Amino acid sequence: MPRVYITGVGFVTSIGNDAASVAASLREQRHGFELYPPFQKPEISCKVIGTIKGFSTDSTDPEDWTYPSAYTVKRETIRSMAPHGLYTHCAMLQAIADAKLGDADVSNADTGLFAASGGSPMLTYYHHERLLRLGPARCSPLGIVASIVGTLNFNLVAAFKIQGASTGFSSACASSAHALAYAFEEISLGRQKRMFIAAGEDGNRDAILPFAGMRTLSLQTDPALASRPFDVARDGFVGTGGGTVLVLESEEEVSRRGARPYCELAGWGQASDGYNVAISHPDGTGSRNAMERALKAARISAAEVDYVNAHATSTLIGDVSEARALRSVFGEMGVRPAVSSTKSLTGHGLSLAGAMETGFCAVLMREGFMPGSAHITNLDPACEGLNILRATVPQAPKVVMKNSSGFGGANVALLMRRV
Amino acid sequence: MPDPVQSNPGGNKTLTLATKPFAPDDEAALREALKRCSPSTFEAAVQFRKTGNADHMPAVVIGVIERFVEPDLRAKLKDADDDLRLIEDLGIDSLTMMEIVILVEDVLQLSINNDELRNLRTVGDVKTFIDCKIRGLPLPRPTKFLPIEHIGAVMPVQPPFLFLNEASVSSTGANGKYKITGQEFFLQGHFKDNPIMPASIMLEALGQLAVLYLIEGAPTEPGKAIGPNTIFFTGCEGVRAHRMCKPGDILTLSIKPKRMKMPLATFEGSIRVGQEKAVIAEDITLTFAYVESAVAPAAIEAGGQPAPEADASANPPLRVAINA
Repeated sequence: MPRVYITGVGFVTSIGNDAASVAASLREQRHGFELYPPFQKPEISCKVIGTIKGFSTDSTDPEDWTYPSAYTVKRETIRSMAPHGLYTHCAMLQAIADAKLGDADVSNADTGLFAASGGSPMLTYYHHERLLRLGPARCSPLGIVASIVGTLNFNLVAAFKIQGASTGFSSACASSAHALAYAFEEISLGRQKRMFIAAGEDGNRDAILPFAGMRTLSLQTDPALASRPFDVARDGFVGTGGGTVLVLESEEEVSRRGARPYCELAGWGQASDGYNVAISHPDGTGSRNAMERALKAARISAAEVDYVNAHATSTLIGDVSEARALRSVFGEMGVRPAVSSTKSLTGHGLSLAGAMETGFCAVLMREGFMPGSAHITNLDPACEGLNILRATVPQAPKVVMKNSSGFGGANVALLMRRV
Repeated sequence: MPDPVQSNPGGNKTLTLATKPFAPDDEAALREALKRCSPSTFEAAVQFRKTGNADHMPAVVIGVIERFVEPDLRAKLKDADDDLRLIEDLGIDSLTMMEIVILVEDVLQLSINNDELRNLRTVGDVKTFIDCKIRGLPLPRPTKFLPIEHIGAVMPVQPPFLFLNEASVSSTGANGKYKITGQEFFLQGHFKDNPIMPASIMLEALGQLAVLYLIEGAPTEPGKAIGPNTIFFTGCEGVRAHRMCKPGDILTLSIKPKRMKMPLATFEGSIRVGQEKAVIAEDITLTFAYVESAVAPAAIEAGGQPAPEADASANPPLRVAINA
């Protein structure tokens, strides 16, 4: 089976808008949280989110948006975008430059794009309310392609003239891990030579507030305490948005182009909890099975894994469930890989999380460090027995595992190997 | 450059419409709606809403179109003639056209059906269309673009005496192009070692465009069509040649009907090369007659169906000679 490599990354995240600043934030454990102005109201109990800096996308009219001057997006391109469409468009431009791809490398029948996003609740509401109030004749013809789940793939495929495979993935917080996994399949089955994985979330009021309805957000008012996976005092996750794009390429294409990969994407596995629509299985059975399948598929033993970038979002049940799964997979083999959750710095990017954090893993493997899990004061006893890093270790992991889980008990584990 | 034959497709009359009183709230809403348009667009919209004077309409429509055109293409609109094409020249796709319509509807307080939009292909089409809507006139037939194959099939004049390479015809006029190749037989003698397009031939080309208009664009009664072989030249006045035209020049021809009553049709015509005026003809008059149309009339159907192609052999070559 041909090998698959990550050859380019692009980021618009709460901890940095390019690979270099993301790497610095991870290494130095700088978080991206702020008190979010729209949440500073008595009726809104959560106050903190991971904010995107340098962009302003509050308006429902994309032509009002502002973004860093390094980017130019034409009206005909931006008009059909959601906020996360703009973030991810910018990440795409970074990833293309990072992988040193020319126009012909991007637009051809052997290059595809898989995307993941939750759509745009803000624009869905805006356009739908107008539709019902004013009737269809007064509505923007592009309201629907800017709003619905799929908006990210529609827009990027058109803007970058993608001619290969394209589709979107919807498994909530496992979506972009699934997108990466099936992009890996697309290349390893020889169907495509190169795949873009694009993931984004608006990360604004309308995208995050529904999780307050679910009582799953942290109510902390101190940005430095709100997201603390594995800590005994954690009280929920902190929402964030942004965009990440990864470039996957076949071994043949890497050598033809002389590309310099970040790492190999060695394999993946998935399994479902079969338990509850929104609550993780208490024993983490789905997560455990996903990890074991990934190890088997990649022909890597548990003992070879140096670092696990956990899904851990800082929720009460989820973190313990994953800790149990990790103990089961690695503890039974008598090994203790380093574990941390970078959501302690970024917040939880929902559909974006899997690709964003795999991008982090690619960067940290090249840069040669393992980031600490921030904001742990008292480790939850239920998470003991794991080697949870609290500070950054300046040592390059040879094999990295990335976990992602989503609603419905969907679990994906991805494995990366250093080159 | 102002072009005398291209202005005011809806006629010369100033029309004032009864409008609702224009409140300060309306002005604020209008300013918000037009915030990405030029100040003059907003001013024209305010004047239209206050007075109902339809003469302000073209400035509003052009201003709204300009706002939706990518900045690097906006220069084209500055000196635009009505033949500027929305898709090919301005990069406006059908979705952008809808955005334009929604804003125009909002600003001019009109309502426009999707079906009515399908045939708007040029800036002139849009202006004429909005003008008709405002004045409550029946909508014009769409502009039809005719390639050389179609022109050759319907015209009584044939090569080597046909001086149109392409043409567009609407109910309000016709535009065409002819490239002087240098291979025209008469250039061997006009003049010795100095080929210059004869002014008489340029008037002939304008006459041919007027013939094409009568066949393809002129309004007729139901069941009747203008017979191609009933059309002949009768007279020409106010002709001035401004520029010598030589091989390599592309003639941009334009005719507009001034009067039309059986058996006479009078046109004004002009020829430009790029932005330079080449020939002006104030009056070109042709005679014509109606014939019963056996099938559908040769003119464009409102639904945008292609007109049936006439059999070229059924139309013997005929003269639209001009005595300049």
